[in-house]
Amino acid sequence: MLAKLKAATFEVLETMFFLFPESLEEGEFLRSRGPFLRSSVTIAGPQSIRIGLQVPQSLARKMAANFLGANEDEISQAEMEDILKETCNMLAGSFLSKLEASAAFKLQTPVIQVFPDGEQKKSKPEKSLRFEVEEELLELFVEKG
Amino acid sequence: MAYNVLIVDDSATMRALIRKVLMISGFDIGECYECGNGREALDILENSWVDIILSDIHMPEMDGVAMVKELKKHQMWRHIPVVLITTEARPDVIQPFLNLGVQDYIQKPFRPETIRQKLTGILGEARTTDASEIESCDF
Repeated sequence: MLAKLKAATFEVLETMFFLFPESLEEGEFLRSRGPFLRSSVTIAGPQSIRIGLQVPQSLARKMAANFLGANEDEISQAEMEDILKETCNMLAGSFLSKLEASAAFKLQTPVIQVFPDGEQKKSKPEKSLRFEVEEELLELFVEKG
Repeated sequence: MAYNVLIVDDSATMRALIRKVLMISGFDIGECYECGNGREALDILENSWVDIILSDIHMPEMDGVAMVKELKKHQMWRHIPVVLITTEARPDVIQPFLNLGVQDYIQKPFRPETIRQKLTGILGEARTTDASEIESCDF
């Protein structure tokens, strides 16, 4: 399941953001400064799951700028949040299309949360996939919904 | 020939992206209308000529299915090609739309050339259809 999620992540980031993530190994450390934006979406089904994506605001801004073909200083908070929700939605959609039994699942509406520096670990599952993107940390988690 | 496009998506940033992708894809755009749901799309169609509709599926107030059903009931709108732009391209999600007469779909994430290829193909077909429809239409 994690391999499929990883493949979906590469597909979405490369196609829509022209960003090329690199997986971080266990123990590899990457310092990112907050605030942090976390978007998550529930995939409802026989066994509902929730997929979440967390990035520092600086990376969210970069993603939004790449996504919209704009300068980073032109990006608003609302656009960053909207794009992160859309990213999460695309990740979940791409992930679902890779699952054989995907017909039984239904995507819900993504939500967004903003965490000040130091509070980004709140209510986040301990297990996550971690990527380095433009020298910033992108974390992806999946848990039972 | 420039084509008028209607983008229907509840995400303003996704609409902006689709508009931008249309511009860089080299597709010949005339007017590019935007709105956030199916109800607003029908309002735009009341007053404007649209050659093709690019629509999301899940939207508040009137979603993609309800919008397409309304389009198909209307004599002037039933032949406007609709292309879904969606994160969900599974057969159980897409097939009901194809059954309703939706021309095609584009799965997110997408590349600009995908949009151009789909629209060029569809509008080529639509022009042929339009001509025969206009000949048989009783004004």
